[in-house]
Amino acid sequence: MTITTAPTEVFRLDYGSKLEREIARLVACFEENNFDPGRYPRRWLAIKLLEADPDILARVQSMPNGAQVIAIARLSAEKLKSLLGDDVDLLTADHRYGYINGVVRQTLQRPLLDRLTLTDRIDNIVTHKWLGLPFFFLVMYLVFRLVIDVSAPFLDWTDAVINGPLAGWLTFILGLLPAPAWIHSLVIDGIVAGVGGVLVFVPGLLILYFFLALLEDSGYMSRAAFVMDRFMRVVGLHGKSFIPMILGFGCAVPAVYATRTIASRRDRTLTALLVPLMSCSARLPVYVVFGLAFFGSRAGTVIWAMYALGIVVAMLAGMVFTRTILKPDVSSAFVLELPPYRQPALKSVLIHMWENTREFVRKAGTTILAAAVVMWLLLNLPWGVANQRDSYFGKVSGAIAPVFAPLGFDNWETGGALVSGFMAKEIVVSTLSQVYLGGEEAQAIEPTTFGEDLLGIGQGFAEATFSSGKILLSIIPGINLMDATAEAEDTALSLALRKQFTPLSALALLVFVLLYVPCVATLGAIRHEFGRSWAITSGLYQTLLAWVAALMVYQVGRLLGFG
Amino acid sequence: MSDPIQLHLLQPGQQATITRINGASALRRRFVEMGIVKGETILIERHAPLGDPVEYFIKGYHLALRKEEAAQIEVSLLAGRNG
Repeated sequence: MTITTAPTEVFRLDYGSKLEREIARLVACFEENNFDPGRYPRRWLAIKLLEADPDILARVQSMPNGAQVIAIARLSAEKLKSLLGDDVDLLTADHRYGYINGVVRQTLQRPLLDRLTLTDRIDNIVTHKWLGLPFFFLVMYLVFRLVIDVSAPFLDWTDAVINGPLAGWLTFILGLLPAPAWIHSLVIDGIVAGVGGVLVFVPGLLILYFFLALLEDSGYMSRAAFVMDRFMRVVGLHGKSFIPMILGFGCAVPAVYATRTIASRRDRTLTALLVPLMSCSARLPVYVVFGLAFFGSRAGTVIWAMYALGIVVAMLAGMVFTRTILKPDVSSAFVLELPPYRQPALKSVLIHMWENTREFVRKAGTTILAAAVVMWLLLNLPWGVANQRDSYFGKVSGAIAPVFAPLGFDNWETGGALVSGFMAKEIVVSTLSQVYLGGEEAQAIEPTTFGEDLLGIGQGFAEATFSSGKILLSIIPGINLMDATAEAEDTALSLALRKQFTPLSALALLVFVLLYVPCVATLGAIRHEFGRSWAITSGLYQTLLAWVAALMVYQVGRLLGFG
Repeated sequence: MSDPIQLHLLQPGQQATITRINGASALRRRFVEMGIVKGETILIERHAPLGDPVEYFIKGYHLALRKEEAAQIEVSLLAGRNG
């Protein structure tokens, strides 16, 4: 069979005699200067050079004889500007749009009726002068509750599966092999714990990406940016930065990934640097334990103040970054299309959700896993240490403890808790209770068969789905940050803490925990999205900030006669 | 044709023709990509709840610009519905 192709006429837009003359001259120049345009069509490349397209200039610059050609193009462009009174890129755009307008006039008939479309009617409410902001906050509240609460039962289930059946099976398999004890410990306490640390984020991320894709694909995301831009600009951010910031109250890891919806790299980077200052849910247990131990009935106020402090510090830090290392550039210009509302396609939403989550597991996951193994090494070396204090971990903790003396908490236990909090901030509490109250009671794992395990996993998943559904229905009442976590179970820990801290040094510690280095998962996400140097910047600036802020709290407090 | 005026000074409901585009070349390129070119008609739709940015209607679609950027666009006011 032969395929006959219709003779196609090469379409060529006429840019007018003056421009065409320079284009032809430049094309001729390519050969005169022994410049090989490679895979680029000559005419196209000549036009791009006259337009001074930055990407193309950079590429041609690195090609043989490219610099000469660029110099010639620049002269041509200057000549055209003095002849025609405008930059070449504006002139070519005029010709292109002129041509398009001609085609549209010949082919398209617009309905003459000037009636409101559905999009107009939705926008009349959603971007309304008075209703716009309340509507935005309602949407954010719902997304926040859905991501945090609906994923919680699945999170517990993931945790239970990894530490229950999975750890059990591995223990069983390792028991069959002639494996030395340290391999056993590495696999269970290092690797399984690390994998668990990665996987606990997965339920939340799946749900987060589902809703973000929904907001984006429906068209509401640009309205949210439109409504919030003025407010966020005070801090040097973009309207779209608001969503990652809100999500930061849940967990900074998905929040860092949520910055992807922001178009400019500079705005994305600044948002990701500020997101970890939002008090994530992992910090709440620390606030609750110390709040109840030292501030009694005023614990709620102290916790609230921590959230508020995080926001205030983020605003200040944003202003500082905007004036120093992240100055606004043209890419931050707010030129934003407000597209017509569309019904999101389920398939594209699901693909979005799956691909982003998979990427998190692959990229940030390796960082978390590596950190878990390093942590295990620190805790277990030199091999055979009986007491945490004698391990490298204890030595490191002891060595850095004096750094905290001016902040009011100079002991290796606190140093150690803060070091382990780098893995995940809620670990600060469990480390303190471990060292003060002496190890957790060994969990007696009842022997189960493989079948029972599988059944348990299935049942657990069904229960998680069920309670998630229940939460979904009960989402209408307000947030209650204090429920469940505020039980008075830690009286023994409270007593132990009161021997080590005064209310003032406890407050300084809380400020430090709020602000200091983001957990390793967050840094992994920042590194994955923005590169190593931004991850280092993030860790360093926050730690420094935390130290200074805690110092101010402690020392000013002492001057005022507290503590 | 009235005297040129900066786009951000217009009020919702007013309609104007773009006469000139100023600003850094990267910003102008961005404008051009979005169809903001000389001779185009632009309708001011509404201000955001906090006054800025402003939503415009141009070339059959809706576009939001901050006032700071809209100030780079010179227009001449058309006798429109409210203008």
